[in-house]
Amino acid sequence: MTETPAALNDDDFMKALLDLVIPPSAGALPGAGALGLSSSVAKALQADPDLGPLVEAGAQAVREAASSQHPEGLQGMAPEAGAKVLEAQLATHPLLIMGISRYLFPAYYQHPQVLEGIGEPSRPPFPKGFGVEPTDEELLEKLQERRKKA
Amino acid sequence: MPDEPVGVLVIGAGASGAAFAWSIAEAGMSVLCLDQGPWMKQRDYPSNGLDWEERGMGEFSSSPNVRGLPADYPVNEDESDISTQMFNAVGGSTILWAAHFPRLTPRDFRMKSDDGIGADWPIDYETLEPYFALNDRMMGVSGLAGDPAYPYHEPPLPPLPLGASGNALASGFEKLGWHWWPSDSAILSQEYEGREACINLGPCITGCAQGAKASTDITYWPVAQRKGVQVRAGCRVREITVREDGMADGVLYYDEEGQLREQKAEIVVLACNGIGTPRLLLNSKSKQHPDGLANSSGLVGKNLMFHPYALITGVFDESLHGRRGPMGCSLWSHEFYKTDRSRGFVRGYSFEALRGFGPVQTALWGMIAGLLPWGEDHHRAYARLYDHTASMVAITEDLPEETNTVTLDPELKDANGIPAPKVTYRLSENSRKMLAHAVERATEALTAAGAVETVAEPLLRGAGWHLMGTARMGRDPKTSVVNERGQAHDVKNLFIVDGSIFVTAGGVNPTSTIQALALYVADSIKKNIATLFDDA
Repeated sequence: MTETPAALNDDDFMKALLDLVIPPSAGALPGAGALGLSSSVAKALQADPDLGPLVEAGAQAVREAASSQHPEGLQGMAPEAGAKVLEAQLATHPLLIMGISRYLFPAYYQHPQVLEGIGEPSRPPFPKGFGVEPTDEELLEKLQERRKKA
Repeated sequence: MPDEPVGVLVIGAGASGAAFAWSIAEAGMSVLCLDQGPWMKQRDYPSNGLDWEERGMGEFSSSPNVRGLPADYPVNEDESDISTQMFNAVGGSTILWAAHFPRLTPRDFRMKSDDGIGADWPIDYETLEPYFALNDRMMGVSGLAGDPAYPYHEPPLPPLPLGASGNALASGFEKLGWHWWPSDSAILSQEYEGREACINLGPCITGCAQGAKASTDITYWPVAQRKGVQVRAGCRVREITVREDGMADGVLYYDEEGQLREQKAEIVVLACNGIGTPRLLLNSKSKQHPDGLANSSGLVGKNLMFHPYALITGVFDESLHGRRGPMGCSLWSHEFYKTDRSRGFVRGYSFEALRGFGPVQTALWGMIAGLLPWGEDHHRAYARLYDHTASMVAITEDLPEETNTVTLDPELKDANGIPAPKVTYRLSENSRKMLAHAVERATEALTAAGAVETVAEPLLRGAGWHLMGTARMGRDPKTSVVNERGQAHDVKNLFIVDGSIFVTAGGVNPTSTIQALALYVADSIKKNIATLFDDA
């Protein structure tokens, strides 16, 4: 008998789940599942004694609900149908999305492909740094006037 | 076997310990500083990598309880409305601070006289002014002279650029006719004393890889070491030891290998912040000082003050390029700083403008604020937020209350088995009213600046960066722990130079004042060295 892995360790399921949280955009941004973040997100959650069990329970509920509707489970469902399954579970697992996002957002929004997609250079801040707009001269003139009055 | 005795032993190598050690080195005594943390390396700071925001939530979090590094000690915060923030390293919390650098104002030293509550300080702004100026030069402060909220002073460097977000917020204050001024910032707008200028990395609060932000490991300490001051990193003090006559004679500390060692000294100086200092005093019980060292008043650990913070963020239609530039340093406002009893509270608060959030923080903040959904609308909502936010924090003046305390936790201990501190802190009704007022006024300012939507967090629980009041200064030994020169009333060769000795908190970031106090205490010792212990 094959033991069913924990939902967080079920890579195909997790990819589908993460793609529902952050789907691919019509433009340049990939879905979170396609970026290969599922194992690192699962690992981080499993190391979190507070959020980990809550997310595992919620993910397990989503996997079971999806499997009851589609033979291939969540990964076989169209995004709209998968989203409905996920939405339905949030009433009993309200922290599921927040728990996933706590670790998914850092992984996703520091990924080079995503940074380029949101208009950021895919490099660390140091050593090149960034430019910043100078202080508005008109504002400084108003300060000078205020200083004279004081 | 005891280490070689020293003249002056400073405990803590952060903002105050560094300034004090640098100054006292001129006295001709041997000076040693012990710090429980390591020397930091700029190449290790998060802004060297793409994961800079994620590391800022873990090993570079400002919460010792989140980091849990070997240098950290745990803090029991179960009974506190605000969570304690600090960093343990050579440089202390200046490693992770935002470097916003206002001074306390003259009226901050006379709460009792002005408003009939709290207490007055035994010293005033004018006494500290030369030390503020000296410290500005040592740290490298950028700013614009002439702020009418302060006595005239000239920062050594021109102000940092406001950037798009600062310009927008300043225009909002101008429309309302409210006070604002470019912040004094301990960040270099130009090359200075061998340090490079700021290149707008953004994440100042996870360490400055450029070295443009002043942290005392790169400002005071190199100069102090050239004067002969020794720094021993990775050394955690367990207790201050005393002679038969009750005077301090040194410390017992754990070295980097965890070995217990003894260090004798003629003068012991505490620079461990408003949590660490009372913790160490309370851990230093003896038959001469059964309630803890320097605690005959019973006030060690009492009157803990934070600055309760509110965060108010505006979403703008235009791009503000907000996360670029020093995140906590652009402008301040003292419009609501003074007591106006018609507002329903005493004292007041300052505003500090923040630049925008990074990519990760935008997402996390947006989710918590309910502005960033999961699913098909996620990217549209994110694009509306990213680079389109600017924030303000209100830094409200906490009142000194004896019920807000640092005590020793009966069970929690650090890695060396030393009892950990427990913080008991409840937000006062006065502070609640002040925060509510600040949220309303900040919303008004952001809207005037062009924000199309605003989101407020009326109390930032994780904003306990400023730790003050737990060994207060005063002339009366019954109502204070140290005298007007930072000298413990009970133990004449024990001095305290950190935020513990604040009598009141003011409504601005305290580090400039903490360091000015440390320099003032050092100068006082140098000037009075021959008679320092006369009435002991």
